[in-house]
Amino acid sequence: MSSTRDCDPTAPAGRRFTLPSPTLWPGVLALGFALAAAGLLSSKLLSLGGLALGVIGCIGWFFQVLPKEKHRAVEGPAEPAVIAVSRRRVSRIEVEGVHRARLPLEIYPISAGIKGGLAGAVAMAAAAMLYGAVAHRSVWYPINLLGAVVYAQTQVSTRQISAFHIELLLVATVLHITTSILVGLLYGAILPMLPRRPILVGGLFAPLAWTGLLYSVLDIIDPLLNQKISWPWFLASQVAFGLVAGLVVVRQARVPTWQYPLALRAGVETPGVMRETGRENSPS
Amino acid sequence: MGANVVTIPAGDSWQLPSRGRTGMISLIVAESAIFTIFVAAYVFYIGKSPDGPTPKQILHVPIFATICLLSSSLTMHAAADSLRRGKTAAFRLLWILTLLLGLIFIISTAREWHRLIYGQGFTIETNLFGTTYYSLVGLHASHVIAGLAGLTIVAILGVLGKVRSEHSERCDILALYWHFVDAVWIVVFSVVYVIGR
Amino acid sequence: MASESIALTVHRSPLQVVYEWMATVDHKKIGLMYIVYALLFLVIMGIEAILMRIQLAHSNSTFLSPQVFNRLFTMHGTTGVFFVAMPILFGFANYLVPLMIGARDMAFPRLNAFSFWMTAFGGLLLYASFFAGKGFSQGGIAPDVGWFAYAPLTAPAFSPGHSTDYWTLSLLIAGVGSIGGAVNFIATIISMRCRGMTLSRMPLMAWMSLVMSSLVLVTISPLTAAQLMLMVDRYMGGHFFDTTAGGSVVIWIHFFWIFGHPEVYVLIIPCFGFISEIVPVFSRKAMFGYPAMVAASVGIGFVSLGVWAHHMFTVGMPSYGNAFFVLTTMVVAVPTGIKIFNWLATMWGGKIVFATPMIFCIGFLFQFLIAGLTGIMLATAPFDWQLANSYFVVAHFHYVIVGGILFSIFAAFYYWYPKITGRMLSEMLGKWHFWIFLIGFHLTFDFMHVPGLLGMPRRIYTYEAGRGWETWNMISSIGVIFQAAGILIFVYNMIQSYFRGTIAGNDPWDAWTLEWSTTSPPPEYDFATLPVVRSRRPLWDLKHPDDPDWKYE
Repeated sequence: MSSTRDCDPTAPAGRRFTLPSPTLWPGVLALGFALAAAGLLSSKLLSLGGLALGVIGCIGWFFQVLPKEKHRAVEGPAEPAVIAVSRRRVSRIEVEGVHRARLPLEIYPISAGIKGGLAGAVAMAAAAMLYGAVAHRSVWYPINLLGAVVYAQTQVSTRQISAFHIELLLVATVLHITTSILVGLLYGAILPMLPRRPILVGGLFAPLAWTGLLYSVLDIIDPLLNQKISWPWFLASQVAFGLVAGLVVVRQARVPTWQYPLALRAGVETPGVMRETGRENSPS
Repeated sequence: MGANVVTIPAGDSWQLPSRGRTGMISLIVAESAIFTIFVAAYVFYIGKSPDGPTPKQILHVPIFATICLLSSSLTMHAAADSLRRGKTAAFRLLWILTLLLGLIFIISTAREWHRLIYGQGFTIETNLFGTTYYSLVGLHASHVIAGLAGLTIVAILGVLGKVRSEHSERCDILALYWHFVDAVWIVVFSVVYVIGR
Repeated sequence: MASESIALTVHRSPLQVVYEWMATVDHKKIGLMYIVYALLFLVIMGIEAILMRIQLAHSNSTFLSPQVFNRLFTMHGTTGVFFVAMPILFGFANYLVPLMIGARDMAFPRLNAFSFWMTAFGGLLLYASFFAGKGFSQGGIAPDVGWFAYAPLTAPAFSPGHSTDYWTLSLLIAGVGSIGGAVNFIATIISMRCRGMTLSRMPLMAWMSLVMSSLVLVTISPLTAAQLMLMVDRYMGGHFFDTTAGGSVVIWIHFFWIFGHPEVYVLIIPCFGFISEIVPVFSRKAMFGYPAMVAASVGIGFVSLGVWAHHMFTVGMPSYGNAFFVLTTMVVAVPTGIKIFNWLATMWGGKIVFATPMIFCIGFLFQFLIAGLTGIMLATAPFDWQLANSYFVVAHFHYVIVGGILFSIFAAFYYWYPKITGRMLSEMLGKWHFWIFLIGFHLTFDFMHVPGLLGMPRRIYTYEAGRGWETWNMISSIGVIFQAAGILIFVYNMIQSYFRGTIAGNDPWDAWTLEWSTTSPPPEYDFATLPVVRSRRPLWDLKHPDDPDWKYE
């Protein structure tokens, strides 16, 4: 009962098509079920009637499909529909012999994102620790605050935040490095796609937007943390990250985008490309 | 026609899984999900009834019925196999044997319920165990009954000589359902009579 | 043998037409019946929403009684999920999937009719409760236990009469229909594809229907099981959810959300299919990242089965339970993000045509993103403890359902209406519909987040003055006027264009999937010659034989 038989591309147009003939029995069976259910809400008699109707529906349905499915014939057209396109012009991006290019044509390698992220991490840490040293006479202050985002027990005094805590240092370092690398990778992926001024977007606009978002919601999410944060300095360290990471990323060499599907690159047999084009057409 | 025809190199075979089998497997997945929920409820409620009777006090393990139901899967397999090879006489015999084994199972379940309800006064309302026991075993029994209805129709058609080897695919699909019902019984049996008792 | 040939010009009496529709097993007619049926219920649930918004527009309102309000939100939710969203998506899938995969019909045409009628009778049964909820002779009372019907509210002691039974039975019946439909879709997509239509060339709409149907199999079935248990409790004196006899109410909550959360994905995944068909055509580019799109959808399908208890943070769970469900829920964001980026990348660099289907898709992208973000917020257990069962949650899931699902359904209507009727919908009215509905949507649901944050619980029938909720609720209610106006324009557009719209032709959008290769509306047999495909865009190959896709896939 596979559809092999139906899928005959050489069948002539204008033939008669066999389609399943219309039947009421499935609807009758459904009505039977519905009445049986309605009977549970009112009287048993209705249920019995529904069940009887269901049995009748089943029998009717049975004789629709057995011993042979009932069909009816429908007249088809003489000619099949013609498929044509109104617009003949198709613009393509031609790249050195590759007829359809994958965009963007050039990307930064993954290493560029990691380098940018790490450089940005150093710049951001420097800015933040400068703030700690200037405002609270302790470089540990911003580190402890960052660590406290995920690891803090109680409300603590400013003096305690200024002290050195090894566990908070570890937590903050892991958080800082991971996030920086991820954001760096994001920069590496997005910057080549921006039409112009990538540094402006990555170095100023993104930090501004991120700071604005945090500024507006942190009071709700974590009011305690919010009290301890100096927003101008926060913005400054974000901008430091954005500028440095962006500058480092754009200074890396770009590599051309792979233009062939993964399966082809991996040397896997792809039925469409390999067999049917003939070797001369296939991109090598 | 011209440009409207795409040609695929000759010799490409285009064979898809049968729709009946795909449909039945989908139905079995859906049914399994229903049984999963009922089994989960049963397991969750084991031993949670505040008052008796407990499974140990009243349940008898239906070993004979279980053997009958499980062996009906074997005869069903053999029946479908002989139909595929065109041995209609053997098919008829094995199919009716399957039907009888299934009937033995459902009758023994009915007797067990009769004993519990009228002998022990243990009903679905008695306690939480009664609720879960009757619903799980009853859900399975209703599936057995649905399967038996299908088997009976084929058996009648078989006796009338209307089932031939070209119908073997439909019988295979029905067999698939029957195997599923048997497999579910293994789960229900272990949950009700082994783990829960 | 009933074998007759139909001459199209013969005039038929109304009775014959009715018979023809009732007895049909044609996937296109059944699809249309699903869609029309769902649109009727859309209007009904919309009216229910309007009544509730009038009631909530100002404080201490007495427009509706508390009892009526309870019935309205129960019926609004139940109708919306089971008798609007699911039938409309099943309808589109019914109409489109066989056309897209080059089949003449569904795998089981009669089962298809049966599934539709089960869904239809289920909806009628539910609404019969308004007239006969206490029993046929004692008058009507609709279900009032909320759409998730938490135990023990449904116990006979707390819900006497039959109103809850109407809810249970109608969902049982409609559920059987849904499972039948899902079985049928899977068998169709697996077994009825035309020559050359391998799984990796299937249109994304067909892929999404496959994922959706597989999810229906494993989500509607648990609901059916839970409903059966509720029936045992209510009719046979069982104790599944009876705490006085050792039963548990929490297990109902688990069972319901094991159904309820994947159900959301059942609704949104076909919408991903709509967007994935429409965005490439109006960006004049092939879909970006097709395999990633398929993998992400299948991934969402699997992950969605393990997130249900994020509806239960306030019910109480061990801390590992909380952590597990927070993490699985957040994982959903990953494949969803992949999808959003794929759509954006498809648009990026394309020659975008801002026709009505496309602008609805763009609206979908923004709104679905925001809905996803509030979803992540609510997935965080401590945040959820604060805001569960508040209007913030209501705003969040309406953002998904209206801003996401309904917008993509509108996009689908504007895109496929020409194929279904042979006439275009009016672009001008379409733009009016989009902008007015967009304004209404944002007025209602953007501002609905705020009273939630201010502590307004859901499902209250009124509130005291002076809590700072009045203005926000008033704005939300005003938005409803715009939404209703948008819907009216849409309905008018559909009716007017049916008679006077410009003739569409076979392929008005210069699209690439197989449904556009046949006439509009398609003949009963779908294709005069069954197609053979070699790539994901078979019509591109036919239109550009000098530069076919299959050389590059």
